[in-house]
Amino acid sequence: MSRVFLTWAVTHSVKEVQSEDSVLLFVVAWTVTEIIRYSFYTFNLLNHLPYLIKWARYTLFIVLYPMGVLGELLTIYAALPFVRQSGLYSISLPNKYNFSFDYYTFLILVMISYIPLFPQLYFHMLHQRRKVLSHTEEHKKSE
Amino acid sequence: MYRRHKPSATEKRNFAAHGVGLSLPQNDTRSFYSLSQLVLSAGHLRQPPVLRHSKITYFEVEILDAQSKKQICIVDKVPPSSTLLDVKHKFHKTCPQWYPSRVGLQLERNGPYLKDSVSIQSLAVSSIITLYFTDLGQQVSWTTVFLTEYTGPLLIYLLFYIRLASIYNEQESTKNFRHPVVHLACFCHCIHYIRNLLETLFVHKFSGGHTPLKNMIKGCAFYWGFTSWIAYYINHPRYTPPTYGNRQVMFAALAFLICEAGNHFINVALAHQNHSGNKSYFPSPTYNPFTWLFALVSCPNYTYEIGSWISFTVMTQTLPVGVFAFLMVIQMSLWAQKKHKMYLKKYNTYTYRKAAMIPFIL
Repeated sequence: MSRVFLTWAVTHSVKEVQSEDSVLLFVVAWTVTEIIRYSFYTFNLLNHLPYLIKWARYTLFIVLYPMGVLGELLTIYAALPFVRQSGLYSISLPNKYNFSFDYYTFLILVMISYIPLFPQLYFHMLHQRRKVLSHTEEHKKSE
Repeated sequence: MYRRHKPSATEKRNFAAHGVGLSLPQNDTRSFYSLSQLVLSAGHLRQPPVLRHSKITYFEVEILDAQSKKQICIVDKVPPSSTLLDVKHKFHKTCPQWYPSRVGLQLERNGPYLKDSVSIQSLAVSSIITLYFTDLGQQVSWTTVFLTEYTGPLLIYLLFYIRLASIYNEQESTKNFRHPVVHLACFCHCIHYIRNLLETLFVHKFSGGHTPLKNMIKGCAFYWGFTSWIAYYINHPRYTPPTYGNRQVMFAALAFLICEAGNHFINVALAHQNHSGNKSYFPSPTYNPFTWLFALVSCPNYTYEIGSWISFTVMTQTLPVGVFAFLMVIQMSLWAQKKHKMYLKKYNTYTYRKAAMIPFIL
């Protein structure tokens, strides 16, 4: 969900942002994560999962996830002045339907929402890691 | 089993009597030996709990935790005529932190929660009943929920109406002329919520009793959030009045008042039915024209409610109100469908032609 938002509503819409380093940061983080994740699913379906892939999926996120989040936040932050200037995706009063939307404020709210959401997801993934990797160790020992 | 015991008991007594009657010193040991043999061969000396000489058979309810399967406590001496609510009260006495409305009891681990009115007799397979306990969380009564949900919007809208300096630009606020629609909208909004509050206090009879605290927080967040959003736009200095001017406003205000009156009469009719205790028939249309919707629809109170909100949208011509009305339509249609299904199950002579909320559709 956040990926769709970042790709279309931020990076594609605000063209000036596309040459920033933060874009490189989150693109690299996403691509590495996805390659590992989809190979994990594929091997799972073939019932032939190498331990390396499982380990990689549940360990590399520790570095990649914060990296991706940092890239995303920096990109949104870089896009802010351009949104303010061009009034992108914003409607202001007065208008016939008495409605207003400020994309600038919306982006700031999105950035703030990362603060509660990121720790929740991160700890959830750490918990999953503990569950899955310790389960495999037990399994290995019993074999 | 009963028959087996009786002769053994009397046999025992006879043997003992005979044993003592025969000859004293030698036969003491022999009688004791035969007595002990008899005791060992007789099996259970203690009679099973069901077979008491008193006429009432008491049940024991064992309460286990649904997740850990550990025993929390045993509620004993439960008379068979008691209901699950009595068991919950007794459970509350032993474990004071679980008050009855917070306790959810199931027959199997993933089964449905049993209702309070279920009698112990109907549950019992043997003399000991095992129930699984789940903590339903902090409970709050429906009256409290509705009162907070409705007082909030009332006060919040008025805050926006008086145009607090912290929300709106003060210069603009004092300068601009306010179209009468804005005053009318405030009046209508307040009427709606005052009516809801008065009905909660004096008309409604709640059958459920309690609901988890989370539901109240969610409901309050929804109502209060949306009210602040719509109040902001309607009372804004740069508010644009409706395109078709006074005619649009007049018609919409009239429709709003009709729907409010209708909603009120329907609620009164439903409450009267509950009050008189006779729930065996569905409320039928009376001389009051507002109740004639009962012939077409099974939940006309929801129909009138969405009618009110749609007319409010048209009256103020504000998109956020439209969004709110749309969400209310979705929510109320879900509730109406549920109630409709319940009525179909409950009332056998129910006409299937009726719709749940909107006549002929849905």
